[in-house]
Amino acid sequence: MWGEQLRMAWQSLRANTFRSLLTMLGIIIGSSTLVSVLSLGNALQGQVFERFIDLGTRRVAILPGDPDANGARVSSGYGLLSIKDFNALAKMVTTHPEIFRTIVPEVALKVRARSGTVEVDSLVVGTGADYQKVQSVPLESGRFFTIEEEQSAERVAVLGSLVTEDLFGKGAENRAKAVGQTIIINGQSIKILGVIKGAGGPFSSDQRILVPAGTARLRIAGNQDLPGRGLKMSSILLGLRTEGVVTKAESLITTTLRDARNVPVGAIDDFKINSPTQALGILNGINSAITGFIAVVAGISLVVGGIGIMNIMLVAVTERTREIGVRKALGATDRDVLGQFVIEAATISLIGSLIGIGFAVALVLAIASAAGLGMILSIPAVIISLVFALGIGIGFGYYPAKRAALLLPIEALRYE
Amino acid sequence: MSTDVVAIHNVSKIFDGGDNRVVALDNVSVTIAKGEMVAIMGPSGSGKSTLMTIIGLLDVPTSGTYLLDGIETSVLDRTAQAGVRNQKLGFIFQNFNLLPRLSALQNVALPMVYARVSVSEREARAKAALEAVGLGNRLNNRPNELSGGQKQRVAIARALVNNPAILLADEPTGALDSRTGHEIMALFRQLNREQGITVVVVTHDAEVGKQMDRIVSLRDGQLNMEALHEYYGINTDDLGRVVTEVPHVG
Ligand SMILES: Nc1ncnc2c1ncn2[C@@H]1O[C@H](COP(=O)(O)OP(=O)(O)OP(=O)(O)O)[C@@H](O)[C@H]1O
Ligand SMILES: [Mg+2]
Repeated sequence: MWGEQLRMAWQSLRANTFRSLLTMLGIIIGSSTLVSVLSLGNALQGQVFERFIDLGTRRVAILPGDPDANGARVSSGYGLLSIKDFNALAKMVTTHPEIFRTIVPEVALKVRARSGTVEVDSLVVGTGADYQKVQSVPLESGRFFTIEEEQSAERVAVLGSLVTEDLFGKGAENRAKAVGQTIIINGQSIKILGVIKGAGGPFSSDQRILVPAGTARLRIAGNQDLPGRGLKMSSILLGLRTEGVVTKAESLITTTLRDARNVPVGAIDDFKINSPTQALGILNGINSAITGFIAVVAGISLVVGGIGIMNIMLVAVTERTREIGVRKALGATDRDVLGQFVIEAATISLIGSLIGIGFAVALVLAIASAAGLGMILSIPAVIISLVFALGIGIGFGYYPAKRAALLLPIEALRYE
Repeated sequence: MSTDVVAIHNVSKIFDGGDNRVVALDNVSVTIAKGEMVAIMGPSGSGKSTLMTIIGLLDVPTSGTYLLDGIETSVLDRTAQAGVRNQKLGFIFQNFNLLPRLSALQNVALPMVYARVSVSEREARAKAALEAVGLGNRLNNRPNELSGGQKQRVAIARALVNNPAILLADEPTGALDSRTGHEIMALFRQLNREQGITVVVVTHDAEVGKQMDRIVSLRDGQLNMEALHEYYGINTDDLGRVVTEVPHVG
């Protein structure tokens, strides 16, 4: 019977090919939007995640507190981080080796760097030799500075790929030649030890010049000290053993810092702890929201498509009233007639969905190959789309089909 | 229990369309025995088609009882009625009522679809039925590729394919020329003779009527014998009887 009704549905669609296609339009658009948006959204999410893994998910950043935050105390230099905080945290790191791997400061300074006659604006980041353990800074040439160089505040630097190109010209060759050269920052000659591989994106070190923290403090910046608290730091990075200890690490850091900074009981933290899992969550949240929104729009399109199907099925039932009468005279039950029209509606919807998915697959594959993303088609999205379309077809086809089923045989036969 | 396949007792059918109330059938009682060939005759609007639709379970009487093959039809629900139409009744319409998108074979197979007959058996039986009405060479033609007589033969094959107890034909020759009409009637007689199938035919043709075992004559929704003579020139001396039996009247 099912096979028979599918065949009937197919026949009646074929009899009105153009009309059937028009009817499917809403479903086609809805399905293709749904599948392509969900696929691309997923891919984007994957990309973001990978990038973060790249930067090291086993890392916590301490950032200055916001003096304008609700509950912030009024005092000059509120929230700023200093070497005092760093030292307290460094002590904590040595007492908890099972949680922390390492700790490095980030002393950021806006500078102008010069090579020969070329001058560029850049950001010097003073840090430790362990920086490589908490940030993804793979070198494409040269080497990173050592602990010894860090401790003796040598005039050495590792350059981001874009800064290198700005100073020495574009291309891998020019970048490679930069190693061993000397640049001038704030009147100081600094020797280039290595160049970092370009990563792209706002989180990368492409625009930065990394130097030992002491070099930044003593040779480049002059006095950056906070009154009574020592060297000012823009952030402090802690490397973790595993992703699993993030919450434990956060609470240890909070206790240590509140103590070191004399935060009164009841006052809010005057510093921020940034764990990548948080940022990852936020980014993925934004992505999910956008994806979800477009998916809802696609869903609405599917529903509108369903209304189109209902409309055309009502027309079909009226047009085929006599046919319904004949079928009933020959022994079709109400259920047979109901089934026939519901299956017809579901077939329209499913075929529309398949066409839409076809478009989406083509689009997604084209984008994937253009962006070099590999296989990003979301199979769950395809299944959701098909199931949704089937549901819409059945749901919106039911009422017209029910009307057909409830026709009295004689009235249907007599219909002109 | 009699051998009556149709036992209609005091059936009335009233169409109540607001101001215009039409009594299409007025207290009609008719019985039809198994294997009988019966004509229903009467002037236009006398209720012939209405009687046929009630016999065919396409409509229900306003009052009265109807036993079909011994079954009290008023207790049947819609699904059961559909089953009876499918298994016991074969319809033939004046305008054929073939489904235009289906081939002759598919049209004939339709009643078997609703009888849940397997595809292969459906095809074989539909083919045999078409061959029996002389259309073995028109299996895959659509109705619009067939002549009127051929269409009616397809309809007859369709009506017979589930081996019904009764064949109901409402003016089956009305849309055909007289020669083709006679061929169709000859086919009915043959089916009746060879398979013992009960045939009920609405007709305006006196010759056709006279070839039947009996004539049920209607006028204004009532059984009325004078009408036979008045409208068709058929003489009968049994005018007082409820259902007139007119075997070969002059
Ligand atoms: N659905 C309906 N609604 C209202 N009146 C109806 C309906 N069907 C039939 N009638 C009326 O019932 C009466 C009998 O109609 P019926 O079709 O049975 O006549 P008939 O004998 O078959 O006529 P004909 O020879 O013209 O086919 C007519 O007056 C007709 O107008
Ligand atoms: Mg009639």
